[in-house]
Amino acid sequence: MLNSIPVLLSPILAELEVGKHLYWELGGMKLHGQVFITTWLVMGALIVVSLFATRKVERIPSGIQNLMEYALEFIRDLAKNQIGEKEYRPWVPYIGTLFLFIFVSNWGGALVPWKLIHLPAGELAAPTNDINTTVALALLTSLAYFYAGFRKRGIGYFAKYIEPTPVMLPINILEDFTKPLSLSFRLFGNILADELVVAVLVLLVPLFVPLPVMLLGLFTSAIQALVFATLSAAYIAEAMEGHGAEEHG
Amino acid sequence: MNWTFLLAEEAGGLFDFDATLPLMAIQFVVFAAVLNAVFYKPLGKALDERNDYVLSAGSTAKERLAQAESLAAQYEQDLAETRRQAQQIVVAAQEEAQKLSAQQMAEAQQMAQAQREQTQKELDAEKQSALSALEKQVSSLSQALLDKLLSVAA
Amino acid sequence: MDPMIASASVIAAALAVGLAAIGPGIGQGNASGQAVAGIARQPEAEGKIRGTLLLTLAFMESLTIYGLVVSLVLLFANPFS
Repeated sequence: MLNSIPVLLSPILAELEVGKHLYWELGGMKLHGQVFITTWLVMGALIVVSLFATRKVERIPSGIQNLMEYALEFIRDLAKNQIGEKEYRPWVPYIGTLFLFIFVSNWGGALVPWKLIHLPAGELAAPTNDINTTVALALLTSLAYFYAGFRKRGIGYFAKYIEPTPVMLPINILEDFTKPLSLSFRLFGNILADELVVAVLVLLVPLFVPLPVMLLGLFTSAIQALVFATLSAAYIAEAMEGHGAEEHG
Repeated sequence: MNWTFLLAEEAGGLFDFDATLPLMAIQFVVFAAVLNAVFYKPLGKALDERNDYVLSAGSTAKERLAQAESLAAQYEQDLAETRRQAQQIVVAAQEEAQKLSAQQMAEAQQMAQAQREQTQKELDAEKQSALSALEKQVSSLSQALLDKLLSVAA
Repeated sequence: MDPMIASASVIAAALAVGLAAIGPGIGQGNASGQAVAGIARQPEAEGKIRGTLLLTLAFMESLTIYGLVVSLVLLFANPFS
């Protein structure tokens, strides 16, 4: 319907584009090229920073090593708080990568002036701006907590579906679908909404006025990365310890 | 009414699922593995090593502190002991000195007493002799006076 | 597209966001008020309370975002067009 709203006043700032993609073909399948470009940039940046941070590990950290150690400690605390002291270590890479990837993607999408780079179709933005990315991450989290539950409790993992009573069976099964759905839509909606609000404000008043909203967007996107990682850790912990874990929307 | 828009919409759109999804998932898993190799493992090891180092350094420091404290306590004790001994020596010396001085004083007093007594005796003797001499002279003088008076009267 | 469907979609999109904002608004106000009361009672726990508050606010915020997603579907990916 309204796939793009042409901007009458400022044609340089392009137009508000939603749902337009740069299509690549791979073996007869369609890919969203702009998502892959920014994803590779984000991943490349993270890997380069990690390589720099671990090039010469010192006992007294300084500079970039200090920063990355802070990030690692933050991630470890997050995983430890949710999963518990005993089990958290194998899950640190997964949860940490979720957090770092989403965080850097969100901030990269908000801070880097992607609009200066013109693509034949669509536009560069945060990878989390695309529903495919968020659903992929959310499904990975589903797989992760199934894997965690099976590895920890074997076939007894299915017992959690009839706890506390077998009457809860449909609701418990439904939960397995709502978890990735809410995870992916929360992230996708937040990032997309943020970019849309900024775009609309830029469209209306191109100077200074969008700045506070942009700052709020930075804040919410950081929080969303934290929420995604925290919830993933909480789901994994819940699958491992069985009943009694708290639930989140 | 096209309900299948979520699955296949030819002209793209907001909810355009395609091969991006599985590829992103695979890519993410690979990325996590790579980050595990270049970030989590080395830095995690560094963090753990530092933790161990800090713990062991803390325990050795605690040990040394305890050692230093016991040493200080011992020194304190020694010091107190020495001080007490010094006090004792001082007291003993004072006592001795007092005793000595009292003795000497007593001796001196005795000597003075003896001298005084002797002097007194000598004085008494001299007085006695002087008195007796005087008595003799009194009788001779009174005789002479009498003689003179008698001679005048005669 | 049918102008009837277009107008209905636009109205529905507006209603979706507006209605979806009511509940989370009340909830967020409640949570923030309780958090402020908690900080007033225990100022030393401020950091912990603020962290938890931000996290829960993000959860409530996502409810509004769901409404926003629905309205975005209606505007940009309308199934009935």
